Amino acid sequence: MKRSACTLGIILAMAGTAVAQMQPFDMSPERSLSSETSTPSLSKPVPSEAPAPGMPVEPLAAPQTVPVSTEPARRYIIPSPEFVLAGEHARRSWSIYLTPEQAASGASINLGYQNAIVVAPEISRLRVTLNGTRLIDSPVASPGTSSGLKADIPDGLLRAGLNDITIESSQRHRTDCTIESTYELWTQIEPSETFLTFDNPDAMRWRRVEDIRAVGVNGSGRTTFNLVAPSMQQATATPGIVRLAQSVALMANMPNQSFDVSEATTRPAMQGDANVIVGTASDLAGILTTLPPGSETAPTIAMIDDPRLGPSNLVVTGPTWEMVSAAVGSLGQQVDRPLEIQRTYLATRPWRTPDVPMLFGAARLKFSDLGIGTLEFSGRRVRTDFAVGVPADFYANAYGETTILLDAAYSQEVLPGSSIDVYVNDNIAATVPITTSGGEILRHLPIKVTMRHFKPGENTIAIEAVLRTKADEVCAPGATALDNGRFVIFDSSEFVMPDYARIGRTPELGGLSGTGFPYGRADNPVALVMDRTQPETLSAATTLLARIAVQAGRLIDVDTVASAAALVGRNALFVTTISQTPPVVLAQLGIGDESRASWGETVASIRPDTQTTFDQWRDRLRGSGWRGQVSRFEEWVNRTFNVTVDTFRIFRSEAPPFVPGGNASLLVASNFNAGGEGTWTLVTAPTVGALREGMDELTSQSGWAELRGHITTFGSATGSVSRIPAEQIEFIETVPYSFSNFRLIAANWLSSNALAYGLAVTVLCIFLGLATAGLLGTFGRRR
Amino acid sequence: MQKLMMIVLWALASAMVIMLITLPISLETQLVAGMSVLFAMMILKLLRPDGIWRLIALAFGTAIVMRYVYWRSTSTLPPLNQPENFIPGFLLYLAEMYSVLMLALSLFVVAQPLAPRPARVRSADDDLPSVDVFIPTYNEEPELLANTMAAAKAMDYPPDKLTVWLLDDGGTLQKRNSEKIGEANAAERRHAELQKLAADLGVIYLTRDRNEHAKAGNLNNGLLHSRGELVAVFDADHAPARDFLQETVGYFGEDPRLFLVQTPHFFLNPDPVERNLRTFEKMPSENEMFYGVIQRGLDKWNASFFCGSAAVLRRGALMETDGFSGISITEDCETAVELHSRGWNSIYVDKPLIAGLQPATFASFIGQRSRWAQGMMQILRFRFPPMKRGLSLAQRLCYASSTLFWLFPFPRTIFLIAPLFYLFFDLQIFTASGGEFLAYTLTYMIVNLMMQNYLYGAFRWPWISELYEYVQTVHLLPAVVSVIVNPRKPTFKVTAKDESIATSRISEIGMPFFIIFGVLVLGVAMTVYKVYAEPFKADVTLVVGGWNIINLIIAGCALGVVSERGEKAASRRVKVSRRCDFKIGNQWLKGTIEDVSVNGARVLVFGAGMDEFAKGNVSELRFKRFADGTEGVLPVTVRNFERTADSIAVGCHYFPSEANHHRLIADLLFANSRQWEQFQLSRRGNPGLIRGTVRFLRLALFQTYRGLFYLWRSIRSKPASTEVATKVAERRA
Repeated sequence: MKRSACTLGIILAMAGTAVAQMQPFDMSPERSLSSETSTPSLSKPVPSEAPAPGMPVEPLAAPQTVPVSTEPARRYIIPSPEFVLAGEHARRSWSIYLTPEQAASGASINLGYQNAIVVAPEISRLRVTLNGTRLIDSPVASPGTSSGLKADIPDGLLRAGLNDITIESSQRHRTDCTIESTYELWTQIEPSETFLTFDNPDAMRWRRVEDIRAVGVNGSGRTTFNLVAPSMQQATATPGIVRLAQSVALMANMPNQSFDVSEATTRPAMQGDANVIVGTASDLAGILTTLPPGSETAPTIAMIDDPRLGPSNLVVTGPTWEMVSAAVGSLGQQVDRPLEIQRTYLATRPWRTPDVPMLFGAARLKFSDLGIGTLEFSGRRVRTDFAVGVPADFYANAYGETTILLDAAYSQEVLPGSSIDVYVNDNIAATVPITTSGGEILRHLPIKVTMRHFKPGENTIAIEAVLRTKADEVCAPGATALDNGRFVIFDSSEFVMPDYARIGRTPELGGLSGTGFPYGRADNPVALVMDRTQPETLSAATTLLARIAVQAGRLIDVDTVASAAALVGRNALFVTTISQTPPVVLAQLGIGDESRASWGETVASIRPDTQTTFDQWRDRLRGSGWRGQVSRFEEWVNRTFNVTVDTFRIFRSEAPPFVPGGNASLLVASNFNAGGEGTWTLVTAPTVGALREGMDELTSQSGWAELRGHITTFGSATGSVSRIPAEQIEFIETVPYSFSNFRLIAANWLSSNALAYGLAVTVLCIFLGLATAGLLGTFGRRR
Repeated sequence: MQKLMMIVLWALASAMVIMLITLPISLETQLVAGMSVLFAMMILKLLRPDGIWRLIALAFGTAIVMRYVYWRSTSTLPPLNQPENFIPGFLLYLAEMYSVLMLALSLFVVAQPLAPRPARVRSADDDLPSVDVFIPTYNEEPELLANTMAAAKAMDYPPDKLTVWLLDDGGTLQKRNSEKIGEANAAERRHAELQKLAADLGVIYLTRDRNEHAKAGNLNNGLLHSRGELVAVFDADHAPARDFLQETVGYFGEDPRLFLVQTPHFFLNPDPVERNLRTFEKMPSENEMFYGVIQRGLDKWNASFFCGSAAVLRRGALMETDGFSGISITEDCETAVELHSRGWNSIYVDKPLIAGLQPATFASFIGQRSRWAQGMMQILRFRFPPMKRGLSLAQRLCYASSTLFWLFPFPRTIFLIAPLFYLFFDLQIFTASGGEFLAYTLTYMIVNLMMQNYLYGAFRWPWISELYEYVQTVHLLPAVVSVIVNPRKPTFKVTAKDESIATSRISEIGMPFFIIFGVLVLGVAMTVYKVYAEPFKADVTLVVGGWNIINLIIAGCALGVVSERGEKAASRRVKVSRRCDFKIGNQWLKGTIEDVSVNGARVLVFGAGMDEFAKGNVSELRFKRFADGTEGVLPVTVRNFERTADSIAVGCHYFPSEANHHRLIADLLFANSRQWEQFQLSRRGNPGLIRGTVRFLRLALFQTYRGLFYLWRSIRSKPASTEVATKVAERRA
């Protein structure tokens, strides 16, 4: 996608002279597409051969009727609602997309932050680096209230396209030298006070279609597309609308994107918002003051200003719906990826730099390629992380192990009892105790990291060194300030991924969460079932499909189907309120029919979450008395071997139908369908409002990562997520059969069905015993 | 065709098991699978520990062992770039793989030991082949030889077809003409004495000019002078039972390609380990595992080999190889390898038909074992049975098992030292967490012990193999190393069997055991220290410490082994219960011979008063011979006596003055082989893994205490003990 965007940039640079306020983007619907479909990174500029006879494409200089605010333009840059730098060392890197105008403009950066009171200002630093140049290097000195830092960006530092920003903090405690004290250190960056300011007020105006990539975020890290589709209620329009949303979502690729679909809007786009207007030219006549030129004759894509809607509106139009679809298709062409081409990386730069490599099998990656530089550290606890991606058919959770070959060193003062821990997605996955004193250089020390916590898509692997020293035990005044290096991780360390079992499973929402599986791989359109008449439902469905497309890294065709009967044997997505969901669908997904009536009635009243309360009580009573000791042993066994009562089940019984609890406000369920040929996924809520709100929460970066298992519910009131694992799983073959893959699949299945393995060993051993008896009866002396 | 199908079926089963075993499954599954297998093996053992069920249980065990090997090979070796960890770690790995290899070979060998053969029907006298009996001797006492010769002569066989030869290597011309006058005189005396004794007993005395090729040369000299179709060989202290030839010769008629019928060696006295641990009466002897199971297992694969004595061989076969082979110092096994490779067959008769003596002191026991170990190493080096042409695959595996076994000092040493590497030097030679140890290593160890119990249960109790291997390792390791470095150097040394220990003392070669014990105790102290000082790796420390404690328990038990008990009775007594008459004055009183030994007997005399006995009295014992039913009178001296409920128990010492008296003693001792069998059966019995372990722990605890007590006493009275040691040393010289 990044490459396609670049190509697009080149194309437009070539057409540069013609670039004005408006850039109609026109092409014939069929001919040029069929010749260039193999890859999104087109080597030849599409527009150059696009114009078909009789389809005027030349850009027209439209009168600049829309006044843009004369105040300096702001762009928020923090891609998440919360942004905390915790511990003694923290570092976050990501990229923001700038239009050429933004890059050319004089600019400055503002950083609003607040820190914990225990952070010692004189020895703690906050640093901001942009494109490798340090802009801010300031003491961390804003306890209590939020304060701002400002720095001018040198001319020429910004560039059109992606710009890398790194925020790094080095914090020390005022008085305490314990490991525990490092958890009290935090600096919170305020997303609403952290932004770029462009001197040129016009810099925020978009001129090209792909300038939509510069949509950015609002002051709370979110991105919203106002999708105006006057004909949204027509069934024929839906696939086009969804496809357009997916294309835009893939282009912008921000972490928290949502779509507001409406028939009309008058709202100018805010920071982090973008207006996308789609419809036939006649439809749009009532919305836009001026239609883009050519829209009455040919598929047209244009970025235009509008007196009512403000600047920078993406308009996709044409004389008929077919032409509009063609325009949508050509836009999608820029970002789509053919099914047979695998991604080598996940495009994550808008929230994590560098892009996360996708590992489809055995691989060896140097830390330097994963974005971890050599890191020297003098404090107590240091954490650094990288990310790798695995596909949805990753099936090695139960048995798999990756290896980190760690190049590191620790100094003489580090005491035994220190440790190097590895976390996968914030779950502890390996611990290497430091057992020798006197310092040591570790050369490619193999650390086995369980893959139990791996999930499809992006996985964060953090390495944390916890260092104990004599000096810290004494903790003389000023000891926290000591700056003698204690520990270093070298970027020559490697991450080694073995070949792992690959097979898709359904139902498994984790696959949907990771790479949009199985919809992302479908070669047939996915049936989308929803209530079109409700803009909220349509917005929710569009938001969901955009999210799935971003995860899948490609566009997903949908079609709308009215009857559930037509869905047997097909992949389908249901975005409906619970009462509108067909009973047959609920039954297939294992949801109790009574929830149609009962769910939602209690949702208004906030009932105490029984499970949460129970957990709290259990924690309070843990460890007391002999029963506590027994349960501690149980915990140890559980921790060490992951053995639970579940381990000893061979035949999984059918679970009773699930009824969402009163505190759940959104439910996502998935299952193979009645025909066993496709996967059905339902996103539902008691009301359309709850569905719309819940969908934003679900598709946000944090919510989406929670999706796993057979059913996941989200509680908007409590923020709690609960999951139900799948009892019965269908396997979906995703790679051609090979013995080694089959072996690994068996290993994983047997690892999660321990008793089955025991049984298999028993049966085979009996067979072997009998065969041996037969052999001994045939050979050697017998009597 | 059926054979091929069986092979295919078995290969299929194995391939499937291997496939399942080599799946990289999770720890949790391993734990569950390990537990299920242990459970299945226990159930099988309780229900049916034999036949097909035994094989199924062994298949279970094999699966777990293979899983361990797979895990051990793929996940536990230290990284190559840490040579200080990798090298010892890899050595440990090799040691473990050796153990697994030996287990695999043992499994093959004893997969299905042949059931004892039915007794032979005696064929008509005319058909019987002529037999030469060879009794090679070097320095044994004439009394001992007299018993053996008398027993050999008394064997139930047509006298015209039985010739007994005393092959004396102690009275050769070379010895008699020695430059050392003292030795020459002794040899001359021995030559004359034995010649007379042999003549009295009707045995042909034969000696030679030069002591070339030790025992093999001596036997070949015998072959050169004799003519019999078959040759029976008895060591000087191995007296045959009357039915020895009846039980063995018949097989030669059935198979013209048969070259060997081997019978077990049964010992009347305990070996030093048994004597010092006092287990002789209760527990099967060490060699019973070999003669009770392994030789029967070898017999299934036509690989039972010659053990130097108590065997009958075919002259025709021996002639093919120019007699007994003498490259190695274990000529017996070497000869068998050679003949097996030429297509000759052997069989093993599992019935004790001779009774012999074990070396008495720990030092001579070690000397004997050194000879076996070195000899087997020489065979491995010069003949290399696994690749020897002419041997069947099964025979190759069998001989590989028998010869490679003697490499055990290496792994034993590594197992002993490995935990200390971690405890003292912090070397990570086995990269695994506490949980993995539990799920893999512990299951493996338990399964290993269970498999041993399945294979040898009634013949070898838990942990006894480990003890024997350990006590030998300390002195065998240098011996094996020296033979590997210098394969032609070792020479045949005759094991002394007539020593006795007058006072309790620590063996003259026992000191290393105390030092090792001390180091291991330090290791335990280090474990405790580490657990408290370094709690972050307490799990691994506890596992390694536990391993060290197992070593310590065995080493503690070995302290008892090297603490030689003083002994009143010089030799093993065999229960007999035979009617007799005991002469007091001129009166013959009725009595029962309760037990006998090579030196004397205990007789219950009825109808006599205490005052009629006196210590040192010369008296006579009259009894019917087992052999032919005629009565004989044996002179004895009274050593002690005591009153029992209705009789007086008299301990008396034989006082033989003529050859006929030796025949009587041999008849008392050796005539009835059934009594030996009964004795062996009385000790057999499988105590099971748990009971066996508890027993061993109890034994080890007591023996540790006894060993330390002996040490303390010897330090307190230093001069006295050195005196004893020198005395013994002189005797041996």
